[in-house]
Amino acid sequence: MCPVIESCSLSKYYGDLAAVNEVSLRVGQGMLFGLLGPNGSGKTTMIRMLTGQIRPSSGSATILGVDVVKNPVAVREKIGIIPEQETPPSFLTAEEYMTFVGKIRKIDDSEERADWWFEFLDFSDKKDVLCKDLSRGTRQKLMFAQAFLHRPVLAMIDEPLINFDPVLQNTVKEFLKNYAKEGGTIFLSTHILEIAEEICSDIAIIHKGRIIHCGPVAEILSRQEHLSEFFLDAVGKGSNV
Amino acid sequence: MYELFIAMFREEWRIHSTMFGSISFALFPVLIAAITFMGSVILPYLEAVVPGEMLSFLIHAQFLLLGVMVGGFGLLGQEVMNRRFGQASLLAYSSRSLPLSDRHIFATFVAKDTVYYFLLWVFPFIAGITLGIPFSGLSLSFAGVVAVTLTLAFLFGLAMVFLLSMLYTRSIVLLAAVLIAGGVSALVVSGTGNTGLQYLFPPFALYQSFTPLLLLYSLVAIIIPFTLSIAYMSPEFMGRIKRFPNRYNALAAAFPQFRSAPLVAKDLLDLWRSGALVGQILFSFLLPLAIIWVTLSVLESVLPGVQILINFAVVAGIIAATMYTWLTEFDTIGTYTFLPLGTPDLIRSKLASFLILQFITVITVAGVAVISGEFAAIIPVTVLAISVSAYACAVMVYLAGLWPAVMVYDVRVLFSSMVLIGPVLLALIGISSIHILYAFASLLLLLPAYILVRLAFRKWETWEKAFY
Repeated sequence: MCPVIESCSLSKYYGDLAAVNEVSLRVGQGMLFGLLGPNGSGKTTMIRMLTGQIRPSSGSATILGVDVVKNPVAVREKIGIIPEQETPPSFLTAEEYMTFVGKIRKIDDSEERADWWFEFLDFSDKKDVLCKDLSRGTRQKLMFAQAFLHRPVLAMIDEPLINFDPVLQNTVKEFLKNYAKEGGTIFLSTHILEIAEEICSDIAIIHKGRIIHCGPVAEILSRQEHLSEFFLDAVGKGSNV
Repeated sequence: MYELFIAMFREEWRIHSTMFGSISFALFPVLIAAITFMGSVILPYLEAVVPGEMLSFLIHAQFLLLGVMVGGFGLLGQEVMNRRFGQASLLAYSSRSLPLSDRHIFATFVAKDTVYYFLLWVFPFIAGITLGIPFSGLSLSFAGVVAVTLTLAFLFGLAMVFLLSMLYTRSIVLLAAVLIAGGVSALVVSGTGNTGLQYLFPPFALYQSFTPLLLLYSLVAIIIPFTLSIAYMSPEFMGRIKRFPNRYNALAAAFPQFRSAPLVAKDLLDLWRSGALVGQILFSFLLPLAIIWVTLSVLESVLPGVQILINFAVVAGIIAATMYTWLTEFDTIGTYTFLPLGTPDLIRSKLASFLILQFITVITVAGVAVISGEFAAIIPVTVLAISVSAYACAVMVYLAGLWPAVMVYDVRVLFSSMVLIGPVLLALIGISSIHILYAFASLLLLLPAYILVRLAFRKWETWEKAFY
């Protein structure tokens, strides 16, 4: 079966700096895959390359069989993305923004779907507020909702829970686990290890642009009590903790 | 105040140099000086096409516009910075985190803008004129006069936009009253045979007759609006949270002819709700054009009315092309990178929105032609303005993609746009002056405009975005 995500020696250089260095990954359908790494390790660059937002310096990648360099727009048609920095347009209301995304993605019943998301993430009272006036957490809710509006086969999420309160974090974690169970694929980038340990089926650890570990979470937890211990050992900071 | 001034100055420099690289941006004043020097050298030939008085006026008008644009960026800076750099901000908006009052910060901001843009634009311009003196026949004292009047023209634009913006944030009724009063005054003065019209643009009046009284008048015309805008500024205006009914669906459905209707609807809502549509139309379009028209009227004694109208239409076309910039100020490609849209889709949608906004140009130019009594010229000058606007916009799209407001400070972009637009405008003014019907020749510009836009799609599609 064709993997949902496949990258082969993917690299991105900024001058002499290798933000991502020869990364090869395969992510299958139904996985809740976590890309873990310290700040500045290359997680966001990796997501931006895989979603066609920036071009790799070398290597190749396909998403659902589509080449991300040759056809980035087709890739983004198929998947949902939550970028690291939420940037909904300033002068649309939250409701209008969801309609806007629905029109761009050509979803007929986008308003009904949007209403479900307003209820589910508990921000119906903010529907008529301009995006620029929304709190950071509410903007994050909106970005989360837009990424799943078209029920994508794959969602690529960069630090999705960072602005959510504990109650909402729990709701969203359950949603992601169910989404993967029902056949969707989630590619999650985070440096919050507790989240990865709780919900991810597989992880890759990226450090200084290179993948230093890739495999099932269960395999790690069979050897160590917490993912954080394994992670800190892997990135060479275990002795400092 | 000194530390804040230096920090703001450094911040302004870094905004620009981060975008283009320090060397490329540092070359910008050198390019301005070089262009002015070359302009001085060919001045005797230029004056054969466009009268010297007209050239002087156009240059003063350009510095007035610069002041208007710089002021506009300052006032919208918070929003622009957020869109371009994420959760970034300017020091001008730091009164919440620093123990400084808004007025203190604003006064420093005005001082910084004055010095920074003097060094960036005015000083190199004067340097170019001075270096060209042996070739142009101009005198050193002329360079001195122009140094003063161009600085004042820039400050006058800055002061006007700050004053009108302050009125806008306080009361739209008050703003309308002031604008109507200004318009009525201009009409009354023009009704008295144009005597004194130039006093509505004091720095140009000073240029025409450099006297201590007019210098004082120019300074007062700048200091009073600055003082009023600092004294009555209302920073709370930006913090209000409003709620809006859903207008998006109806607006998107209103433009079925455009493939990019969903994006066009978003652009128009952005412009309207941000206040930029009203603000930009008033401050960046109608105000400069009104000043230009009033001042051009002073030249009626030396130029036929239709020629003034031709010059006005060309200037209106150039200013109208900046409407593309209005559309690119409130979002960046970063807003769309997670949606199935490519840069050509975005450029296409901005151009569709630009096309819709051109009704403002049509109404303005046709209206001025009617007021002038040049009925036979209404259609030719309107076509001239729209063609110039479309061509200049296409050049902008090709050279700067979705980032015209910032890339204008890239030396290569500025130089290329001057080369691509300047000679075309002079040629159009020249042939239209032979007979007004030749203004229709401007329609030929639509072909290179189309080609430039097609090339721009290809050019910007694969461009790696260094900034959003």
